[in-house]
Amino acid sequence: MTRRATTTALWVLATFAVAMFPQWLRMPVAVAALTLLPLGWRLLTELRGWPQPPAWMRHVLTALALAALFMSYGDLSGRRSAVSLLTLMLALKLIEGDRVRDGRLVVSFSLFLCATQFLFGQGALMPVYGGGTVVLALVALTRLHRAEAWEQPGGEPPRVRTSFLSELGFGLRLAAAAVPVGLAFFLFFPRLASPLWGIPETTLDSKSGLSNSMSPGSIQQLFMDDSPAFRATFDGPTPSGGNLYWRGPVFWRFDGETWKGSLFGMNFPASERPAPGASPWSYTVQLEPNERKWLFALDYPTTAPADTRLTLDYQLIRRDPILQLMRYDMVSNPDFVDSPTLPETIRAEALDLPPDLNPRTRERVAQWRREMPDDAALARRVLDWFNREPFFYSLEAPLLGRHGVDEFLFDTRTGFCEHYASSFAVMMRMAGIPARVVTGYMGGWYSALGDYFLVRQSDAHAWTEIWLAGRGWTRIDPTAAVSPLRIQQGALGALSEPRHLLDYPWLRGLRNGVDIVQQRWNDWVIEYGAQQQSRLFAPLGLERAGPAVLVGALLAALGLFGAFIVPLVFRIRGPGRDDPVQRDWQRFLRRLRRLGFSGTPSCGPLETGQAAATQLPALASPILTISQLYARCRYAPGVPPASELRQAVRGFRPSRKPV
Amino acid sequence: MSLTAAITDRLDLGPRFEDWLLERVRRLRGPTEFPLQLAYRHIYVMPTGFGAWFGFLLVLMGVAGLNFNNNMTLMLVFLLGAITLLSTLLAYRNLLGVRLEAVLVKPVFAGETARFRLLLRNPEARRRFAIQAVGAESVDATDLRPQDSGRLTVVQTCPYRGWTEMEPFRVENRFPLALFRAWSVIIPTARCLVYPEPAVNPPPLPDSGRGDHGVARKGEGEHFHGLREYRPGDPLRRIAWRASARHQKLYSREMEAPRDDACELNWYLMGSGDTEEKLSILTAWVLRAERRQIPYSLEMPGAALPADLGDEHRAACLKILALHKA
Repeated sequence: MTRRATTTALWVLATFAVAMFPQWLRMPVAVAALTLLPLGWRLLTELRGWPQPPAWMRHVLTALALAALFMSYGDLSGRRSAVSLLTLMLALKLIEGDRVRDGRLVVSFSLFLCATQFLFGQGALMPVYGGGTVVLALVALTRLHRAEAWEQPGGEPPRVRTSFLSELGFGLRLAAAAVPVGLAFFLFFPRLASPLWGIPETTLDSKSGLSNSMSPGSIQQLFMDDSPAFRATFDGPTPSGGNLYWRGPVFWRFDGETWKGSLFGMNFPASERPAPGASPWSYTVQLEPNERKWLFALDYPTTAPADTRLTLDYQLIRRDPILQLMRYDMVSNPDFVDSPTLPETIRAEALDLPPDLNPRTRERVAQWRREMPDDAALARRVLDWFNREPFFYSLEAPLLGRHGVDEFLFDTRTGFCEHYASSFAVMMRMAGIPARVVTGYMGGWYSALGDYFLVRQSDAHAWTEIWLAGRGWTRIDPTAAVSPLRIQQGALGALSEPRHLLDYPWLRGLRNGVDIVQQRWNDWVIEYGAQQQSRLFAPLGLERAGPAVLVGALLAALGLFGAFIVPLVFRIRGPGRDDPVQRDWQRFLRRLRRLGFSGTPSCGPLETGQAAATQLPALASPILTISQLYARCRYAPGVPPASELRQAVRGFRPSRKPV
Repeated sequence: MSLTAAITDRLDLGPRFEDWLLERVRRLRGPTEFPLQLAYRHIYVMPTGFGAWFGFLLVLMGVAGLNFNNNMTLMLVFLLGAITLLSTLLAYRNLLGVRLEAVLVKPVFAGETARFRLLLRNPEARRRFAIQAVGAESVDATDLRPQDSGRLTVVQTCPYRGWTEMEPFRVENRFPLALFRAWSVIIPTARCLVYPEPAVNPPPLPDSGRGDHGVARKGEGEHFHGLREYRPGDPLRRIAWRASARHQKLYSREMEAPRDDACELNWYLMGSGDTEEKLSILTAWVLRAERRQIPYSLEMPGAALPADLGDEHRAACLKILALHKA
């Protein structure tokens, strides 16, 4: 293996390594390790001259990788598992062949891999990743092109004086020259107003955020996740912190451990939609894709966005899972009575409990019920109990057994919001008060700079609603009774211990502050679509720009760019550095020109030297020396060292006016 | 992977397209006259097989990006698309202005391959990358440094004696990404002289027919006779360098060969037989006589050369044999 071939292969490897990096981070450990194996082997082949692995070893590795993939993902129909499969196959391709065709295959599929990564996230850092992959791919392809040109002649490409930076520079220049044209396409290429096809739900294998059930530990898990769930920008009055309950999935059915949604709660439309009211909250939510169907809103949503229904328990459920950043406008009115009357079937569902479970709780509730017949008073009594008794709000919740509520309320007394919400709802139901559990997000970080609320997954929360005669469904947050700090400062403020390494308040503050970059990026770039496109020319008085207008604008822009870009492209330097001998000679000629000497380009160096010496007799000796040195360096390279010429040219610093 | 290979292979422009283009160029411009500076009208640009595959990938990614309105994917696709467009310009520019100076070729024997050497010159101050000459039988590549010249070899098998016209070939490049190929069709007027194939086991060299045996003749032969002053026209290898250096004056060695060593290669004395076979034998005799430094004369229908030795004589004899009209 020649050194040149090695460099080409290294560029190909680098392209692949960068392209797969985000996917690699996301892969299960076994698959990630199996991906590194062929990559490492190929690297050693190039650097240490290891032989290519034999065919049987490649087959074994492929079988092993497929098995690991199947075992980690369960099945291979999901989006992530499919992309992992692509990554693995590309990695294995690296040890299969080192011909030009193989290299091109890896590079072109690496670009494809890069595109698939944007399906999973379009963060503000992704352009760096995409741009890096593109530039590396350009260098690798340029290298492969040279390898191909000399593949048949049987020799190896002649050496171009290159360096890592000069080759990278060529890739950068090429990419940079393409940016304006690409931008014109991005702005004016007509977009689809609605997708032609959707992603089958079976391929969604990485749902994030709140799920369609709640069991102890499910929200606690979310608490570790600092990724943004959504951002909300208020237009007009902003609710106070205690009102920022973002309603998500609502649960009715309890089997002793897990809470689930009810059939009619999910499927029946809201019996009554609140009117906007006197002082509604009007806001826009930018929801990060989570592959689920819930939209989040403050109580009580008065409208439902397109393709979304408002259910009986005031959940907003979208027809399709949210795969792209989504924006919706909401108006919520807090002054609303949810279900002034409760139909019998619903009441029955809201009181249903598995029998024979949690006898100690049942006994305690029965006792309280005897003391206070009033529902609201009883609820207050329980909250008071939570507040007075030594209950703790903590991440370190022990595992609970069959009588989970009993164990929690009387033994462990340490839990997270889902423990409190669940236990409270169970107690209410035991007392004959209809109750349900609501999950969602609580609070949010207000960005003064961007005037929006940032709600992270770690703001996930669970609370309870009980039905009181005359007041309808009423929100009760038992966690607030245990830990008022949770409500005031968010879950992070309520906990003393850091969640993990690198979890410091200042770092969190920094992360919150930086989020504005992501928010703006989402606003300006990611959400750009058919709608924004049609309003592109609104400032010019054109209210709706159709595809014809856009294509016209695109062609006009391309024509305009063509006039500027084509000459620019024609000036792009190829890869490779200047010959230092040549560079010194040019510098010498420049200095001569400053003295008023301009030779004829067709003259050789010695003739030029002679002519210059005749015109500038005072400098004849250094001029002749340099021209002779140059001629020797140029035509008998290596005989006089190039440094000699450099020194001579450096020493040649005549003043502007020769004596 | 064989699927992608199949796709790219199928999309590569086949020989039919090349033939069609060649005919078109022949009709429009006729044979290429050297020197030729490649200009706008000489250069064609088309995607390569890899370029077509790359375009297919881009369309795939673009459709997915549009469907899901995934702006990052679209940005990637549009950037790569713009780069693809620009790469056509770069491929074109890499060829634009290159001067094709001449085609040189040395005579070969029938059955050998002629090596046509195309001389190129880069008159501009920028480097040209991987310029290729693609013939039916060979591909050669070279870089052209700024204001420098280079050469490319086009190999062509010459099965028959006589003049062999150089086949049309392409000067092309795929700089920088090999997505596009920019090329120029060259219909050269160059031709290669092809000598007859020397017979493998020729009969022994014929003697002189005239019978003036025994008289030594000065000037030729392989035996040293003496020194004399250099006269223009003396072959270089006869110059006695050492003696010349000693006397500061050029001296030539005088050689002698017995006259009876001279041989007469005569077409009419070969008897009847296959023309090509006779030409092969004569060719082999010329080579053998030259190797043994035996002066030889050649008599052919319509041409006769007196007995002599040396490269020029050999070339003249072989040329007569090569161009013999059957």
